[in-house]
Amino acid sequence: MANQESDKFVTITVDGITARVPPGTLVIEAARQIGVMIPHFCYHPKLAPDANCRMCLVEIEKIPKLQTSCSTPVAEGMVVKSSVPNVEEARKSVLEFILANHPLDCPVCDQGGRCDLQDFSHEYTPTTGRFKELKRIFPKEYFSPLIETQMNRCIQCLRCVRYCDQVMDVQALAPSGRGTMTEIKHFSIHELDCEFCGGCVQICPVGAITSRLSMYDFRPWMLKRADTICTYCGDGCQITIQTKDNELIEVNSTHGAGRNNGDLCPRGYFGYHASVHADRLNHPLIRQQDGTYAEVTWEDALELIAERFSQIKLAHGADAFGGLITSRCTNEELYLFQKFMRVVLGTNRIDSSARYGHINGIQALRRVQGTHRWTVTYEDIVAADTLLLVGTNITETNPITGLKVKEAVKKQGAALITIESLLPIRGTISNITTLASHHVPVHPDYFGLAVLGLIKSVLEQGLATASLSERAPTFVQSIRSAVGKVPWETVERHLGLGRDTFVEAARTFSQAKRVIILAGQGVLRAPQGSDVVTNLLDLLILTGHHGRPGCGLGTLAEENNDQGAVEMGAVAEYLPGPSELGDQTARKNLSKIWGDEIPQSPGATLMDMLEEARTGRLKAMFIVGENPVATLPPQAKVEESLDGLEFLVCQELFLTETAKRAHVVLPACSYAEKDGTFTNTEGCVQSVRRAMEPIGESRPDWEVFSALSLLMGNPIEYGEAKEIFKEIRSAISGYGLLGPSATPPRIKDEVVDRYLQEGFKTDVEVRYAFEQENTQPDEMLTLASVQSLFHSGKFSTRAKGLLQIQASGFLNVNPVDATRLGLADGDPVRLSNTRGEATTKVKLLDRVPVGVAFFPEHFDQNIRGLFSLETDPQTRVPYFKLTRVRVDRMQEEIPGKG
Amino acid sequence: MKFRDWIKTITFYEILLGMKETIKHLVHYKPITLQYPHEKKPLAENYRGMLALLRYDDGTEKCVGCDLCEAACPSRVIRVISTEVPGEPTKRYAKEYYMDMTRCLFCGLCVQACPVDALGMTREYEWAVYDKRKLHLNKEQLLAIGDRAFPVREKQLEFQHPNVAYFNVSFKDIPEKAN
Ligand code: SF4
Ligand code: SF4
Ligand code: SF4
Ligand code: SF4
Ligand code: SF4
Ligand code: FES
Repeated sequence: MANQESDKFVTITVDGITARVPPGTLVIEAARQIGVMIPHFCYHPKLAPDANCRMCLVEIEKIPKLQTSCSTPVAEGMVVKSSVPNVEEARKSVLEFILANHPLDCPVCDQGGRCDLQDFSHEYTPTTGRFKELKRIFPKEYFSPLIETQMNRCIQCLRCVRYCDQVMDVQALAPSGRGTMTEIKHFSIHELDCEFCGGCVQICPVGAITSRLSMYDFRPWMLKRADTICTYCGDGCQITIQTKDNELIEVNSTHGAGRNNGDLCPRGYFGYHASVHADRLNHPLIRQQDGTYAEVTWEDALELIAERFSQIKLAHGADAFGGLITSRCTNEELYLFQKFMRVVLGTNRIDSSARYGHINGIQALRRVQGTHRWTVTYEDIVAADTLLLVGTNITETNPITGLKVKEAVKKQGAALITIESLLPIRGTISNITTLASHHVPVHPDYFGLAVLGLIKSVLEQGLATASLSERAPTFVQSIRSAVGKVPWETVERHLGLGRDTFVEAARTFSQAKRVIILAGQGVLRAPQGSDVVTNLLDLLILTGHHGRPGCGLGTLAEENNDQGAVEMGAVAEYLPGPSELGDQTARKNLSKIWGDEIPQSPGATLMDMLEEARTGRLKAMFIVGENPVATLPPQAKVEESLDGLEFLVCQELFLTETAKRAHVVLPACSYAEKDGTFTNTEGCVQSVRRAMEPIGESRPDWEVFSALSLLMGNPIEYGEAKEIFKEIRSAISGYGLLGPSATPPRIKDEVVDRYLQEGFKTDVEVRYAFEQENTQPDEMLTLASVQSLFHSGKFSTRAKGLLQIQASGFLNVNPVDATRLGLADGDPVRLSNTRGEATTKVKLLDRVPVGVAFFPEHFDQNIRGLFSLETDPQTRVPYFKLTRVRVDRMQEEIPGKG
Repeated sequence: MKFRDWIKTITFYEILLGMKETIKHLVHYKPITLQYPHEKKPLAENYRGMLALLRYDDGTEKCVGCDLCEAACPSRVIRVISTEVPGEPTKRYAKEYYMDMTRCLFCGLCVQACPVDALGMTREYEWAVYDKRKLHLNKEQLLAIGDRAFPVREKQLEFQHPNVAYFNVSFKDIPEKAN
């Protein structure tokens, strides 16, 4: 035992302090743990040591020369000295050489005040230099609209280059030139074209790479900081919003903080201006007879709403109301919204944007394993030895989860199986399929079929775990016979891939020790979404991975609080918990906490509410932050539904297409102006903190619900968001601790047993059946509405920084298709099908599969009208992401587009 | 003794003695009070008067908008709003510059903080006004003070290398900073 202990740790002494650290630790890290900061430039814990700057030299006893502590691993009994005269002398010379060429730019340098070189120079060098020579000067080159370089300030530590390669896998930067004349360049004759993650800006120890978005707007000491959570995707990155006089200046992140560990994506780093856009609503508005809006006071607006709501309730009953809330709201707001709808208005007709797909994953998880959250964490992803990604362009939709996958593959050598439509071709932004050891290229219609192929292959090769045949023989048998009904020929005809493709992937998957499956938008937002997730869980069960530590399935949330919306019960089928609407114990428990009855009537989902509104059954709706008019395709007839309502209240940041149909519009606060919590895709509850004062008269959403309840004579009052959280804590499990939950929920064995014995039978035939025939005529392309790395929903299209990267939508097509259709880059095209037509421009992109065209969902440009709309019979999720279109080149230019 | 006292009393000796200084000053009259504003005191060599912003000899503003004066000022007189020079990307200047002279205590710390000697203390002190708001000066006013107080201007800084001053030629139409 004692032996083992000493195997695990070595003793090291730094500046007289002794500590025990694991072997392999770098001296600089060991010193940091002891509390000795060794000055350094090129070292960063995220990057492999490069030891190029020599700043971190230390004296190590018994080694004659000074050593770079950033690249020397500790050894037993090592004695390190970091502040002896010869080390200080060495440091001084290193700095003197750097300063020989460094400009005296500090006053106009955005890094001034938080610059490593500045700090170390103050600490270790004399105030005057000895160099008389001219300084090195680089011609200034234009870099990019958002990232600017000042190469005269570069100290050639190559952190930026290494970050971009090792962490981001983008490789947009490279050093060029030799010696002191080395400068950092991007690889093209164009301006920088990369992911714009801002990582190079943040990791540069000096001011050589800076953000152009906030350039010269601030000095670091003026900024007020607030640690909060990004609102742009389900990854839930911790960001620090920095303001000066209530004006948003910049966003950054801290190494070691948050689930993102200091990494960000362009939306988080450059997208912060959306919430302070000039179009923000500043006052409550009431629609007048002539259709215009009059600015009114909060009192007038709320009194009108309370009065009309009360009238409608009296005349038509509680179920004449419907509520819709965006999952960009905080947990507190989602919770209070459903409480308001249930207790004050008395209806269960509530839905949120989790309905657009996230609910599919949750229903499958609950059904098979009895959890509504992931049973794995980001740490498990990094530690996994095999990862299966299905239908997710993860580097664009959930970039930070994507980074974890990249880390697992690049640093830990995990095997990666991707079932994705993207082709494994490198581009200006990273592409997860290029890292895959087994890539299964699949048309976006057929992710389900590919999963079926994988399961079929597992069963055929006898890779299913033996113990399962004893535990649940019928389960294995049913699946075997169900997949047997889909012959390999069918698979091959649709996927263009036969049995051989799956053999290796199936074997790798089955033999792995720690596997994690991640299912993305391609699965969750496409027909049979819930079924495909269930099948993936079947796969885990079949290979015996289900329930093993470090193994599990995760669904990737698109909106930042999709997960929270479901857990708060802001969906039609669940009470807070989430518990089924009919769950008597949960009802009893909740009514005790609420001191009020929970309505008995069934809930109604978004699509059902719209239908009911059209038929006149629903009389009033309360829509918070959601914009169905601009989200759903025209066949959904949302306008018609909303116009038929007697009373529509919208609570919004902007006067959106939906808000324009409301009788009363209330101005809400953005995430930067309020307190609360978000629950990320991984199920981690994190604090959102107010970074600035509310804009205009806008108020946090929860205050409005609270005020309305008061006016309607059924007060649910809270002093601050924290009080709501306290109530959430007592009502919902998993909200005890903020921050990463130490242990993710375990699968419930009794639920799994029930599923394996009986539960699966109800639909196993349907889930594994495949009838679809490919009906795509040759001249048509499959048009997929996809998420771009640079935007999130429609909200981000108001962020000026992101607009500089991507200002409008282009039709991305493969060059092969372009040649076939006679299109060149930038050509204006007309897209048409039986539903209508739209115009846009073409942009060639190598990684788009042949026969498919991608269009970013954030820009409308009338494309929405082309999509079909299909509602899931079970989960009632509306699907409208795929369609087929004709693409024709247009002769004339499109005015004002592109 | 008595007789002497008596003489002193009748000759008002003590009063005369007291009057001596008065009479002396009456005869050698020399005024002490300065007849301001008709007369002005010469100022000390390093007199710290009204603050001003300066220009180079070619008329360009010296100030680079670094905010250091704002940071140095103990009574929060200064407010700098810096941004990029229009048409010269990545060059910094003060778009707006305000001094609230009602609060200035003429310590001169801002002048010392300025890395480019863009601030100067003039010898002006006649700044009494009826309306305090008139002491809230903007950049143009401060430059005007500098112009009249320091007619001899410093030469524009010379760059070590002309490249510094030019923006790369291979990219036309470089976009301005977003706002
Ligand atoms: S990089 Fe640091 S040392 Fe160099 S000019 Fe900027 S603040 Fe000064
Ligand atoms: S911003 Fe671009 S160049 Fe910089 S690290 Fe990110 S991807 Fe690389
Ligand atoms: S730009 Fe910054 S991070 Fe990159 S090499 Fe230069 S100093 Fe290092
Ligand atoms: S959009 Fe997602 S990945 Fe990007 S910073 Fe925000 S939370 Fe992180
Ligand atoms: S006056 Fe001097 S110190 Fe003040 S902002 Fe201008 S350059 Fe900086
Ligand atoms: S930090 Fe060790 S050599 Fe640069």
